[in-house]
Amino acid sequence: MANEHKWGMVVDIDRCTGCQACVVACQAENNIPINEEKDFLSRRAKQWIRIDRVWEGEWPNVKARFIPILCQHCENAPCEPVCPVYATYHNNEGLNVQVYNRCVGTRYCANNCPYQVRFFNFFDPEWPSSLWNQLNPDVTVRSRGIMEKCTFCVQRIRRAERTIEGQRGEELSDQKLKEGNFMPACVTACPTDTLIFGDMKDPNSEVSRRSEDPRHYKLLDKLGTDPNVVYLKKVDPHVVEEAHD
Amino acid sequence: MSLKMKLIPLALGGLLTTAVLVLVAIFVLRAWWNTPFEVFGFGEAPEQPIAFPHNQHVQIDGISCAFCHRNVTEGDAATILPVEGCLFCHATIQGDQAPPEVAKVVAYFNENRPIDWKKVHRLPDHVQFAHEPHIRFLTQVQGLSIEQSCSTCHGNVREMVEVEQVRSLKMGDCVDCHRNNQVFTENKDITDCTTCHY
Repeated sequence: MANEHKWGMVVDIDRCTGCQACVVACQAENNIPINEEKDFLSRRAKQWIRIDRVWEGEWPNVKARFIPILCQHCENAPCEPVCPVYATYHNNEGLNVQVYNRCVGTRYCANNCPYQVRFFNFFDPEWPSSLWNQLNPDVTVRSRGIMEKCTFCVQRIRRAERTIEGQRGEELSDQKLKEGNFMPACVTACPTDTLIFGDMKDPNSEVSRRSEDPRHYKLLDKLGTDPNVVYLKKVDPHVVEEAHD
Repeated sequence: MSLKMKLIPLALGGLLTTAVLVLVAIFVLRAWWNTPFEVFGFGEAPEQPIAFPHNQHVQIDGISCAFCHRNVTEGDAATILPVEGCLFCHATIQGDQAPPEVAKVVAYFNENRPIDWKKVHRLPDHVQFAHEPHIRFLTQVQGLSIEQSCSTCHGNVREMVEVEQVRSLKMGDCVDCHRNNQVFTENKDITDCTTCHY
């Protein structure tokens, strides 16, 4: 089956201010219940995208570094072969897919994920009644006992395909995605354009161009997971480069 | 009484229990794979707050499906007109067949209340279905009319007094159709899980 797209993302860490707008947008878009303090303390908070904060240097010259971490949609995903029921697989659009209705909750995938971006529903999700009408009808509310993770907002991609390709009969491009507000929620929310989403197969797309940037690297590249999320290194002339493994 | 005589009621009881269990198993299996048997209210049309006869409106009055279910050619949900929509006609038409039912519609309008229609075709939350692409496919590729497109899944609503579900609408039902029609959508893998599940 011919296929046109390979969705990917570029994260330019040099631009990230750690504002957490992406986290909030993701939470709202994908029906993720509100993380309370006790959820974090019990390590059961669900954040499909999170901002990891790293302190660099010694006081008083300490610097805060932020890095948004989401599902890397690895081409050789460690989470996929361990699933006994094929609930997670790689589709031919470059997405690492979690099929909620197949998942039986073994949690092997989360154990095998080196990026810690898979979250298990230990409880049924709950929202205060004032937020019931805020739930996104395009996204499944995951019940207790199944795994969930970033989908690259596949509901928006599907909607873009329906409206742009289907109704208007036009080619799906980055520009069209952006105009129609079909980018993933984190990308639309990012005020500094840290997150860039698009089609890696299209040589003219912004992601393809930016992923060729000399600053590019991939998280935990030595593991050979071949992620579809490319990071661009922070530029700071005052910091002596340390060797990264 | 001999031992044999004592065992007869026991054997009969065993037979009866087995028969009941087999019947229950048949019912559950049929409901699992297809639609349940129409007994004890299972698989029957739900009772609506207003007895809305589709056959009267579609067959006799000749109203198109998309007139009341306006969003069907544009969006995910087919939607139903608000009460004001019913009053397009029923402000003047009092209904020869069932005036009390029409009076109920007017009462809903006067009390400024939405009608609490019961959903007939239910899908689980983890299934995302959009009407628009299906209607688009059936009308543009298969060349059906809007009414015929609707009937593909919803059955002959034209002649139904109470609308009931006619197809099982289980995953096998959906996938059958998606497999058979994959040739028409060469670029997209429409049997991919993320077509419906996300």
